[in-house]
Amino acid sequence: MNRQDCILTIDLGTGAVRIFAFDLQGIFIGSMKGSYPTFHREHDQSEQDPEQIFITVLYVLKNLLNERIHPSGYRVHAVCFSAAMHSVLPVDKKGNPLGNAITWSDNRGKQEARQLRSSPSGKTIYDATGTPIHPMSPLIKITWMKNEDKHRFHLTARFLSLKSYIIQQLTGETIIDYSLASATGLFNIHSFQWEEAALDYAGILASQLPQLVPIFYSDLRLRPEYQASLGLDATTRIIAGASDGCLATLGAGVWGEGKATITVEQSGAVRVVGKDVLIDEKQRLFNYVLTQDYYVSGGPTNNGGVIFEWFTREFGSFRKAFDLEEAMEGLIQEASKIPAGSDGLLFLPYLLGERAPIWNANARGVYFGLNMQHRQQHLIRATIEGILFEIYSIGKTLEEHRAIHTLSINGSFAAYPFWAQLIADMFNKPVHVKNNSDSIGLGAFLVAATEMGMYQSLEEATRGIDVPGMFRPDKNNHEVYMRLFPIFERLSSKLADDFEEIAGLQS
Amino acid sequence: MRIPGRLKRPDCLNPFLLQKGFSKELDLFPHILEFGVKKIQTIRLTSFPVEKSNSFSIYYIWDGRYDWLIDDRPYILYPADLALVLPGQPFGSPRGTLDIGSYGWISLDIGTADTSLGPFSGLSPTECRSIRKILLLNNVPVATSMKETGKLFQQLAQELHLQEIGYQTRTNQLIDALLILTARQLIQQSHSQRDFSGSFMKLEQELRKNLSHQWAVEEMAALVGLGTTAFTEKVKTYTGFSPLNYLINIRISEAIKLLKQTETNLTDIALDTGFYSSQHFSTTFKKLTGYTPSQFRKDNTDLP
Repeated sequence: MNRQDCILTIDLGTGAVRIFAFDLQGIFIGSMKGSYPTFHREHDQSEQDPEQIFITVLYVLKNLLNERIHPSGYRVHAVCFSAAMHSVLPVDKKGNPLGNAITWSDNRGKQEARQLRSSPSGKTIYDATGTPIHPMSPLIKITWMKNEDKHRFHLTARFLSLKSYIIQQLTGETIIDYSLASATGLFNIHSFQWEEAALDYAGILASQLPQLVPIFYSDLRLRPEYQASLGLDATTRIIAGASDGCLATLGAGVWGEGKATITVEQSGAVRVVGKDVLIDEKQRLFNYVLTQDYYVSGGPTNNGGVIFEWFTREFGSFRKAFDLEEAMEGLIQEASKIPAGSDGLLFLPYLLGERAPIWNANARGVYFGLNMQHRQQHLIRATIEGILFEIYSIGKTLEEHRAIHTLSINGSFAAYPFWAQLIADMFNKPVHVKNNSDSIGLGAFLVAATEMGMYQSLEEATRGIDVPGMFRPDKNNHEVYMRLFPIFERLSSKLADDFEEIAGLQS
Repeated sequence: MRIPGRLKRPDCLNPFLLQKGFSKELDLFPHILEFGVKKIQTIRLTSFPVEKSNSFSIYYIWDGRYDWLIDDRPYILYPADLALVLPGQPFGSPRGTLDIGSYGWISLDIGTADTSLGPFSGLSPTECRSIRKILLLNNVPVATSMKETGKLFQQLAQELHLQEIGYQTRTNQLIDALLILTARQLIQQSHSQRDFSGSFMKLEQELRKNLSHQWAVEEMAALVGLGTTAFTEKVKTYTGFSPLNYLINIRISEAIKLLKQTETNLTDIALDTGFYSSQHFSTTFKKLTGYTPSQFRKDNTDLP
C-alpha cells in the first residue's frame, strides 16, 4: 500500500451504474455513471437486460480508469460492490441468462404475494427472512415463475441477483453477500443460511442459489482478460460488498442509538441500524443484514420523488424542452409561498400503490379537503407535504420500536432545502443532509477500508463521517402538521375498500 | 364521382381537384398525385368507405367535424387538424359517409430512397432520412391546430393556379415546407417535451427494432424532437454516454446474446447488430471487453 493506492466502488443502481474512486484517506477522486433502461413489456412488469448492464459496467469502469485513475498514477487496491435489492435473473447450467432480469419494481407476483401473506407460513417466513411478503421479493418472483412461467422455471439451473451475475462475469465466481441475500425473502437473517421453508415454498433447492458469502468476502480475482483490458492486475481485491440500502445507511453515518436515515429518490425509505431485528406483528418493516452483527431495519415507500416528477410533468411550466429540473424548482418556489399545512389541503401520494406502512398495492392518490380558497400553489405544496407525510408515517412506525433523536437525509429530492426543512418540521427533529449516491459510494468505501484493516470495525469507520449542514425544526409548523397527520393516517386505512374498488375499475 | 377540373379561384374555399395525368397544372410535378379541396353539402351514403390507401397523403380540415378511421384506429378531426395517411393503411369513415364540411388533401409520391424524397426536394440527405423516418414511423397520425398547414395549402393552390414566374421552384419548396412542418408537429405531439425519460425510452425501442441500421445522431435527435446539440447534451447527462456510445452499448449487448445462444456466424452477428463488418465488430468488441468475439463465445459456451 502506498499513498497512490485507491479504492473503487461500483453501485449497480436501479437505472444506472455509478462508480466512485476514493484514495485511502477516503478523499473522493472522481466518479462516472452509465445508465441502462428498464423495460415494461406488460403492465406490472419491470425487466432489465443483464448483458447491457454488464457492458455498461465495463464501459464506465474502463472510462473512469483511463481518464481519471491511470493518468494520475493511482493503483487500484480494491473494488467493492453495491447493488439494488430484490432482482432475480434465471440462468442456465452454463451460467447464461434465460431472458431478462426481473427488477424490484416488478409487480407480476401480486397474487402469489397476497396468498402467502394471508397464510400462516407467510408470518413464519417473514419472521425468519426479514423481508416483507410483497411482489418485490425474489421469493415471490420465483414462486410466480414456478406457477406462470413453467418452461423457464424448469430450464433454470440457478437464480441469481444482477449483482451476482456481474461479479460472475468479471471473476467467474457465483456468489451473493449476506446483505443482498437478506433482501431475497429466501435467507434466514438469524442463522445466515438459506431458509428451508422459503425454498420449499418457491420450489427450489439451496444449490440453485449463489454461494453465500460475508460482505467482506474478498477471495475474488478478475479474469485475466479483464485485468488486461482494464489495466488492472491479479492483486486488485474484489470485495463482495452489500446492498445499496444498507450501504447508504452506513455511508450516511447512521450508527448507534437515536439515529435514523431518510432517503428520498424516486422511491424512498426510512432506516435505522441496530444489533437486533425489529419484531413487527403487522409485518410492516424490513430487517436486512448489514454484517453478522448489525441489521438495517425500516420501511420503503413507492411514492417518493417520482410523484413530484409526475406532478411537474403534468402541471409544471417548462420554459426549455425537457427541463424537468428547472420546472420542479419553479414549483417548489411557488409552494414556499403557502403556509405549512396548505391551509387544510391534504394529499395521499399512493399513485403507485404503497408499501410501508400500509402495504396496499391497490392504494391510489387522493386530494382531500379542497375548498374554493385553494389555489394552484396549495396543490403544489400539498403534493410535496403528502409525499413527506408518507415518509413520516414510516418514521412513526419505526418509532414504535426505536427512539429516534436525529435524522440524516439523502437522495436527490431530500437535497432541496425546502424538502429538508419540511422533514425537520414534520418530525420535529434536527435533520442533516447528505447526497445519496455519495452515501452509497462512501458506505462501500468504508466496507473496503474495514476489510483492509484500516478500521477495526464499521462502527469505528463511521466515526470519521462529517456531519453536513443542519435544518432545525420549527415548532409552530410542527404543530400544524400534527393536526393534519391523524387525518392523513385515518384516510389511508379508511379508504382501503374504496381503493380496492377503484383500482378494479382502472385495470 | 371526382371530376378533374381547373382551379376556379386561388383559394381553398372552393372545391377543386387536380390529378396526375388529367390536370395540365401538374405536368411539371410528377410527384403530386392529387391535390384538391372537397366541400360536402349533403350527406351521401357510401361516399367515403374505408379502403386501403395507395399513396402518401396529407389531409387538412377546413370546416366541420370528421370521424375517420386511419390504420384501423378512430380519430376525430376538427378544423385546422391534419391527418397523415400512409400507403397501404386502411383509411375512410367507419360509417362510410362524409359529414358536412370541407377538407383539402394532397397525395404525393415520395419514393422509397432513404436519402431523397425525389428530384423535386431540396432537403439534404440527412434531413431527408430523419423526416422520412418520422413520417413513416408516425404512431399518432393526427396533428391538431395546424393553421400553418392551411396557409401552405392555400399558397400551393395559388402557385398552381397563377403559374407566375418561378412557380415550379416555389411549388416544390412549399411541398418541402409542408413535409417539414408535418414531421415537426407529429414529433412534438408524440413527445410532450416534458418527459425526457419517456421520449428516450421510445427512442431506445426504435434503435433496438432497427439495430442493423446505420443510425446518425441527427436521426436519433429528430425522433426525440430536439436539435442535435441539445440532444447530445441531454443524452450525455441522462445516460453518461454520447448518443453513439450509448448505441454501441446496445449493439454489443445484443451481440453478446447472439454469441452465447446461437450458432450464428460472426459476420451475420456483426451485420445484424449494426457493425460495418466482422472486422469492425471484432475491434470494437475486443476494445470494450478484452475478448475477441470468438474467444468470448468459446469461454461462455464451454463452461461446465
